[in-house]
Order: sequence, then structure tokens, then C-alpha cells
Amino acid sequence: MPLNQDVLWYKDAIIYQVHVRTFYDSNGDGIGDFQGLEQKLGYLQELGINAIWLMPFFPSPLRDDGYDIADYNTVHSSYGTLEDFHKLLDSAHSRGIRVIIEMVLNHTSDQHPWFQESRSSQENPRRDWYVWSDTDNRYTGTRIIFLDTEKSNWAWDPISKSYYWHRFFSHQPDLNYDNPAVREQMWNVMKFWLEMGVDAFRLDAVPYLVEREGTNCENLPETHAILKDFRRRLDEQFPGRMLLAEANQWPADLRPYFGDGDEFHMAFHFPLMPRMFMGLKLEDRKPITEILQQTPEIPSSCQWSLFLRNHDELTLEMVTDIERDYMYDSYAENKTMRLNLGIRRRLAPLLDNDRRRIELMNGMLMSLPGTPIIYYGDEIGMGDNINLGDRNGVRTPMQWSGGWNGGFSTAEPDRLYAPLIQNPVYGYPAVNVVSQLGSGHSLLHWMQSIIAVRRSTAVFGRGSIEFLHPANHRILAYVRRLGNESVLVVNNLSGAAQAVELDLRRYKGNIPIEMFGKNIFPRVGEVPYLLTLGPYQFFWFRLRRI
Amino acid sequence: MAEDTFLTDDFLRQLINVGEVDILVGLPTHNNAKTVGSIVKTIQSGILRWFPRERAVIINADGGSRDGTPEIVTSISIDDVRRGPNPYALRTLHSISTKYATTPAAPAAFRTILAAADLLQAKACVVMSPESCSVEDEWISKLLRPILNDGFDLVTPTYRRHKFEGVLITNLLYPMTRALYGLRLREPYAQEFGFSGRLGGEFLPQNVWDDGGAGSGIELRFILSAITAQHRICQCFLGQKDHVERRGSDLVPALRQTVGPLFSALEPDFPFWSAVTGSQPLLTIGPHQEVLLDLVRVNRKRLREMFTAGVAELATVFQSILSPDTLAELQRVALLGENDFDYPAELWVKTVYEFAASYHKSVISRDHIIQALAPLFRGRALAFLTEQRNGSAEDVENCTESLCLEFERLKPYLLQMWKSRE
Amino acid sequence: MREMIISELSQAVQELARGFAHYLPRLIVMLILAFAGWAIAYLVKIILRSILRLIQFDKLSENAGAAQLLTKAALPSATEVVSRFVFWVVWLGFVLLGVSVLGILGLQEQIGKFFYFLPRLFVAMFILFVGLLAASFFSRAALLAAVNANVPSPRVLSLAIRSIIIVFVLSIAFEELGIAEQTMLVAFGIGFGALMLGLAIAFGIGGRNLAERFLEQRFVRAKKDENEDEFSPL
Repeated sequence: MPLNQDVLWYKDAIIYQVHVRTFYDSNGDGIGDFQGLEQKLGYLQELGINAIWLMPFFPSPLRDDGYDIADYNTVHSSYGTLEDFHKLLDSAHSRGIRVIIEMVLNHTSDQHPWFQESRSSQENPRRDWYVWSDTDNRYTGTRIIFLDTEKSNWAWDPISKSYYWHRFFSHQPDLNYDNPAVREQMWNVMKFWLEMGVDAFRLDAVPYLVEREGTNCENLPETHAILKDFRRRLDEQFPGRMLLAEANQWPADLRPYFGDGDEFHMAFHFPLMPRMFMGLKLEDRKPITEILQQTPEIPSSCQWSLFLRNHDELTLEMVTDIERDYMYDSYAENKTMRLNLGIRRRLAPLLDNDRRRIELMNGMLMSLPGTPIIYYGDEIGMGDNINLGDRNGVRTPMQWSGGWNGGFSTAEPDRLYAPLIQNPVYGYPAVNVVSQLGSGHSLLHWMQSIIAVRRSTAVFGRGSIEFLHPANHRILAYVRRLGNESVLVVNNLSGAAQAVELDLRRYKGNIPIEMFGKNIFPRVGEVPYLLTLGPYQFFWFRLRRI
Repeated sequence: MAEDTFLTDDFLRQLINVGEVDILVGLPTHNNAKTVGSIVKTIQSGILRWFPRERAVIINADGGSRDGTPEIVTSISIDDVRRGPNPYALRTLHSISTKYATTPAAPAAFRTILAAADLLQAKACVVMSPESCSVEDEWISKLLRPILNDGFDLVTPTYRRHKFEGVLITNLLYPMTRALYGLRLREPYAQEFGFSGRLGGEFLPQNVWDDGGAGSGIELRFILSAITAQHRICQCFLGQKDHVERRGSDLVPALRQTVGPLFSALEPDFPFWSAVTGSQPLLTIGPHQEVLLDLVRVNRKRLREMFTAGVAELATVFQSILSPDTLAELQRVALLGENDFDYPAELWVKTVYEFAASYHKSVISRDHIIQALAPLFRGRALAFLTEQRNGSAEDVENCTESLCLEFERLKPYLLQMWKSRE
Repeated sequence: MREMIISELSQAVQELARGFAHYLPRLIVMLILAFAGWAIAYLVKIILRSILRLIQFDKLSENAGAAQLLTKAALPSATEVVSRFVFWVVWLGFVLLGVSVLGILGLQEQIGKFFYFLPRLFVAMFILFVGLLAASFFSRAALLAAVNANVPSPRVLSLAIRSIIIVFVLSIAFEELGIAEQTMLVAFGIGFGALMLGLAIAFGIGGRNLAERFLEQRFVRAKKDENEDEFSPL
């Protein structure tokens, strides 16, 4: 199956986020690798996804799960060789699956040769590659991101006897983007991977590239200029590739990252995600509709990226204080679940393993405007292990079967890079791919079918959205439109059955056809359209005029 | 935005109750109370006997009957409300009816059936005629099995008929369709046929429903459309074709329903049929045709009179339609004595092709062109009936076959006439 | 005396000159109008000819039977005839407009009448043309129906229908033109009435058999040797 050649392929993509390390171990060393992932591409193709996003696989001391990069031009030996990666790329492409990789622009590991050189002396040619200062008083007013572990954005380097700037962990010094050599080098890094065939980059931590006194050192114009330059070069030399921005900002601050269609192609819609969880708990659509109505228009070639969960904590940075408190109380009563202004739990545990709520959240993920991202393991309802430190509780090995090591690896269990989930509810004997493939009504089969329905029309990826405002606030209803095609989506956010009357006069004369069973519903007329929904139920209707 | 849709709310409600089906039987009716009762019972019996596990529905598209036809159709529904003599029915069998118009119109009836099939996601459909009293329950199976089991998209019928019946089909529709579309489909104008949901779904959105006059004979259009779209087609022997009482005055309406749509279809289908040479046989389940040979009297004198009178009185009309040579030849034939009378195949083929080309260019009103063909067809029918008076089944078949070959041979003549008129 | 003659002469010359000066500009205007009118009329003729060719007016007039009439009268094709006719009418219009500028009293009224008459002329021509088309269509329809119903003398019926329609249309056209309206109407009335009377008599006396057969066909179930032995086309 060849790759779809449309330059806007990302609008129709269903992205699967996965770490090589967690997926499948082919050589029995307890760590997932490229060859293992390649062997499991068939599973992904059957699931229906058409793009994978790989977490960082570069050489790294792994003090921040690979986001502390020590060499940009090769892969970590634990995962295989560059050759293995190349084969994985080709294999994915032959199955019609695109590959998105991480590119951490903002900082490197302190073990990176560049930093080693930079710190060695003031006269070193790479001195200026990082942001050095004699005092830690510069750029005051800049917030600290990893609040739980860092006390300052400056760290003292005993070797060079000065402070260096780091927005993240102290072992991740920030690169100095005011230095043209840095910019040039980072473009060369990207070019290296693009020439190999990589389809897109998720650019990590982009708001923080440039610092300026008197600002909050985020989203500065200079940062945007650098990103625009990268984009321009990308379009010239590698048309059809994509840049995805990781920028945890309010919608209004996110908007500049799209530019006029000349910066990022995609960006994560961070603020929406916690509000989906909130809407569900509150049984009220208000948080969801408000954030989407506040979301600014983006250029027609750009796209939002939507997700429910990912490798990080469920971030509550972009909510108000009362909202954060509510979320903590609702979803993370146990304080150990909280981390860095977020909640470090997987989807299924967050939703009490309630199959209906899991389906509803995935239904919204697949029908709201944007490209959906599925976090590995959520398609079978994997659980988490909050006893593992930091965010490692949501990065446990993929559960393939109920057998040895959950089918992840042939190694001894204590050699695994992380322990498997063992508890009776989420443990690998209960939750695994093999048993779900054998059960017609498993979550996995359901995910396959909803992905298939989503992919059956371009409306979800490319269409507009118009919210309906029924009096029943527990119902989130909207119409997606693209050209002549219209799809009506109705979600019951409540745990009780609901009746709702929708004003569909605009669509009078259309016959709603439910998209999963393809059965017809009564035709839309003048009077409000009455629907009844079971607890957490949702409908997708194609509106057809015959 | 809110244009009127042709499906009534009531019908839609009934369709919702039916839900997804495997088999759909369509029955267009208009004042058929005398015959429709036995036909729907046969259909029901066919479904219960041959498809007991399949989800089925009977859809009656009625054109404003006043004799209670729809009620007869709906009365044979099987459900848990009615206690009836059907203990062997596994499932509910819906038999629903809708009035698509107050006056009958074949295109609207067919469109209603297609829309229902599409909304109910029917895998296989069959259209039955409300007038055929010789229907057997096995016909349902014959028309549906190739679609359900073998992946065909269209199943057309073949019949057992008297050799003097269906002259229009054997002398014009079949040979011309065969020559132009390249497929040896015996009944291009079928009143009973089966088709897949897929084929129906493709035909439904096409712009053929508002054609006015050319819209009648929609079944012919449908079959031609299946041929040009290169769907899998086969034909199946059903059985005896009813002898429905016919009168001489039925010829012009018959021509309007068949030859008119055929001529109309030639225009949009030109890229297809102009490239076809020869013809291919069609998979046929059962015999191609069976011919009854009982002695039947035919009023040949009347046919001859109407042919001769037609040629004489319509000379001015024919001058606009036919070439001078063909017209002269016809005039010569009109003067032949009763015993010498012959309307040779070549002349007939040229006549038909010239009519088709004139129709294409609308030299005069198209309906008048069709009407003008009637007396000439009578002449041809007379020649055929005379020749086959004592003919055996084999003779009839050979005659038909040689006429077909003549149509195929003279196809370049049609192409020449078609282009020259431009 | 000599001075008187000279003064009268000069006065007369002056008057002549005055008159000349009065009319010369108008004459010039009239000539300009005539010239411009010729050019415009020519342009209109070209455009009209293209339009008529586009709508296949010749074919329409052939259907109407007008083409045959024109050929018989050794006139060029209908498109040509109409285009030329319109050319002359337009140019004449401009010429008359020019003449009216001259201000000759008696002529003004006549010119006015001409312009008043023009639209009615076009309407009448249009009615006539449409009428001819209708006559042709309906007479052919009647002919075909009669032939297919095996009615005797179909051509007579067809001709009768054509004649009735043409006469009817002619009388409307004349009424529109305002020419001998009453005469035409009365003539039509008499003619039509006579035709109907004639048909009634023929029907009642001479067409007895025809009437009998017709009524039988219509109201009595078909007699055996009429409808039995009829072949079945489908």
C-alpha cells in the first residue's frame, strides 16, 4: 500500500504514539527495539492507523526518558542500529504508515559532546552554543516548568564556573539560538533524518528557544522567526513533510505558531484535553465548547492535534486554579498521582476502567476537529503503575498476550526495562492484544471499527464545526461539514440516560443515517429532533438527502 | 436547500421499522387487485421456501390504485401481531406499501424501490411484475441466487413463449441491443429481473429521473447502464411468460416504452457502443429461450393493410426520416402481393438504424418518429409471422440469430448515418 | 425702382439663405441619421443572422413548412429573409427618424403611425410563425395517430387540422395588424362553421359506417375478428 501523496496527509492521519523501548523486544534483552516495532507494524496497520510518532530514540543518559539527547545523528544502541531504523522506515512506508520522530530543539543532554566542549573553557568555539551567565539573576520572572524537581532555571556548572540556562531538568542545558551556528547545525540535524525518509518532526519545547530580558522567555518573536526559517527550508527541500509543535500554551498564544501557514503545520491542542475530562466529570459540555469557541481560526493548511493521554502527565497547566483543584479532586485524589501540575495516569484508570466512558472519550477524540493521536496501549485499555517514579507509570511494556512477560520479551522478567502491570484488573493476563483479538466485542475491535468509520470520510479531519446548543447541557452536539457532506455528532456526557431535542431546521429534509450500523433514523423536519441516549452514549449521523 | 424529496415521511417511518435487509422484492403496481394477490403470495412462499433465514422485505410502489391493491400487498406481512398460517416463518417479513404518485409512472416507482434498497442496505433485490399470473415461487430463487452466491450484479430473465409473442423483442430490441452493446441479452426490456444493492446504489443518483417521456422504459435504461458500466450480468430461464391480452392499439405505447428509451440511451452511451464490435454470449442458467408452437391465428390481412397504408400516407414524414433509397425500397415492398410479401432483414435493419439516427438528430418531434415506426414494424412482423407460420423452434431461433447477425453487420452503417447527420 | 428690386431681391435671397440655414443643419442631421442607421441596421442584420443560425431557425421553419413556401416563391432561406427584412425595417426607421427631424408637419403624423404599427407587425409575424409550427406539428400528430389507428383517409384529417389552425392563426394575425379585422373574423367564423357542418353531415350520412365502427370500438367490447388474432409485441 503506497503512501498517500496528498501534501495535507496529516489532516487525514490517525497517529499512534509509541516509544520503541516499550513496544516489542526482538532480541531478548528486555528492551523494545526497532526490529521489534517493525515486526508489529502489521498489528498497527490492522488497527487502522496511518502514522506513528516515535518517542526519542537518540543516544541519551535517559535521565528524562530520552529527551536529553547526547547525539543527534544516530540511534541509541539499546534499540538497534541506524540500519534497523532505516528498515523500519521503509517497512512502515510500504504499509502506508508515515513516521514522525521527535526532535528536541531547545536543549541537549549535559552529556552531549557539544556541551562538554562548551563548558570546557570560555574560549572554546562552542562556548556560545549554550546560554551562559555569571549570575543567576537574568531572565527573572520566567516560570519553572518542572516545579517538583527544579528550583531555578539556572544551574551552576562547577567546570566552567558559571551558570547555564535550562528550562527543563538541570541536566538539560538550553541551546543558544541567538547563535547562527546553532541554528545551522540544528537544521543539518533535521536534514539528516529527512534525507533518510522521515515524514515529520514533533518539535519538542519550541516556545522556549530564545530568551530575552524583561520577558517571560516564551513565544518570543525571535523564536517564531527561527521556526519560520526552518519551515521555509523544509518546504523548499522536502515538500510534503510536516512539523508538529509541542507548545503547551493558551490557544491565543498557540496561534502564532501556525503563522500564515508558514510555520508549523500542526500543533497540539493542549487546553482542550483536560477540559474533555472535566466535561465528563461535570457532566456538562461547557468546558469543552468554551475552549473550542475560544480557539482561534488557523490557516487552512494547518491542523490541530488532539489527544486524550500521552507519555507525560495529564497536564493541568492551561486551566484555572479552581479547574485544577476540581480535576485533582475528581481524578487524582491520591496525591502520588499528581506530578508537575498534572496527573500521571493512563486513560483507562482515569476513567475507572469504564468501557462506556472510554468509548465516549475516544468518540470525541475522533470527531472533534483535528488529527487524533492514540497513545500506545490505550487501544486495549492498558493500566498504569503509579509506584514507578516520575511519569514512568504510563510507559510500561506493551501487553501482547497473557503469557511470558505479556508477550513483550523473552528475557527474564527482572531484566525488563520496566516491570509489567500485574494487578488483576489491568495486568497483562487480563488486558492484552491476543485475548482482545479473540473477542468480537473487545475494546480493540471497537477501536478498529471507530477508526474505520472515521477514515471513511474526510469530514472529520478537514471539515468545519458548528456547535448546537440544546437546552440539555449534558449533551455535547455539533455538526461537522465539508462540502456537501454533513455529519451530526451527539455525545451524552452523563452517566444517566438522557433525552435531548436538537434544533436541526437548517438540515430539514435530511435523513440521519447512523454511521456504525448504517440504519436510518426519522427524517429531519421542522420540529425539534428528539433523540434519546443511554449513559455515556454517542451517535454519529451522516445527514443524507435522497 | 429544502427541496422536496420524493420519499414520504410515512414510507420512511416504515423503512426505519424494517431496518437492514438482505433481500428486497420490489413490486410496482397500479390497480392490479385482480392479479396481485396471488403474486404476493407466491413471492412470500418463495422467500419462506428459498431464503428462510435471510432478512427480507416486500416493497410495493403504488401509483394511486383505487381498487385496494396496496392493502392486498400489505396483508401478507408476517409478524407476531397477526396470527396467520405461517408457522414455518422464522422471521418477521415486512410487506410495506407507499403511494409514490397519484398517477402511475414507471420511473418514479422504480426510483422508490431503488431508494428503499439503498436505505435498507439490501444485498440483493428483485423487481416483479404485478401482472404475471404464471409466476412461480422458484423465480425468486432464480433471480436472487446468482447475486447472493456468485457475485453477479444483474440477472435478466428468459422465458418460454409462443413463437408469435414478443415480436418487438425478437425483431428489434434484442438484435439491436446485442449489436450495439455487444451482449446477447435476450430480454433487454424485462419486467422481472434481479440486481445487486451495489448496482442499484450506483444507478440511483444518476440524472435519469426527470427525463419526461424518455423516462418510461426505465428498466431498459437500467439494464443498458449495467452493461456500459461493465457489471457482471447473467440471464436465467424462469418459465412461461404470461399471455396478457393485447390489442393492436398497444403497439405505439409499447414502442414508446421500449424503442424510445433505447434510442434516447444511444446518445449518452455513444462512446461505449461506438467502440463495441461483435457480441459476447452471456452466462445463461437454463435454456436461452423456449418456444411454444401451438397453432395461433394472426390477422395478417390487417397487418398488411396497416403497413401499406402507413407507407403511402406517411410518405412526407418518412422523407424527413429515411434515406431516399430505403424509402423507395419500402414503397416497392408495399406494392408486393400477399403471397410475395417480404420485408428482408437488411431493409429492416437499415430502417431501424435510419430511424435511430434521425431520432438522434431530432429531424422532427421525437415522439412522432417513434409513432412513424409503428406501421413499418407491422410490416416486418407480418414478414416474420408469415415466414415462421410453420416454423419449428429451431427455425425461429435461426431466424432470430440471422437477424442479429444482420444488425451486427450493418452497425457501421448506423455509425455512418449517426455522424453524417451531425 | 431699381433699389426696390435690389432690396426685394436681397430680401428674398436673405429669406432663402435663412430658410437654407434653418434646414441645412437638419438636413445634415437627417443624412447622418440615415448613414448611421444603415450601419446600425447592417450590424443588427449580422447579429440577428448569427442568433438565428445558432437557434437553427432554418430547421424550425422547415418544421413549420415555411421553408417550403419560401422555396416555392424563389426566396432565400428563412434566416436570410428575416435578417434582410429586419435590416430594411431598422434602416427605414432611422431614415424616417431623420425625415421627422426636418419638421415637415404632415409627415410627422405618418411617421408616428409607422412606428406605432411596427411592433404590431412583428407580433403578427411571430404569431404567424408559431401558428405555422403548431399547424405542422398537430397535423403530423393527427396523421400518425390516424394511420396507427387504421382510420381511413388519414391525410384528409391531417390536412383539415392544418387548414383550421392556419386559418385561425391568420385571422389572429390580421386582427393584430388591424387589417380588415371584422372581415377576417367573420370569414373565419363562416369557414369554420361551414367545415363543422360539413363534417357533421358527412359523419351523420356519409360516414355512417365510420361512425358505427368508431362507436363500437369505443363503447362495445371488441368484436371478435377485430381484436382476436392480434399479435403481441412484448
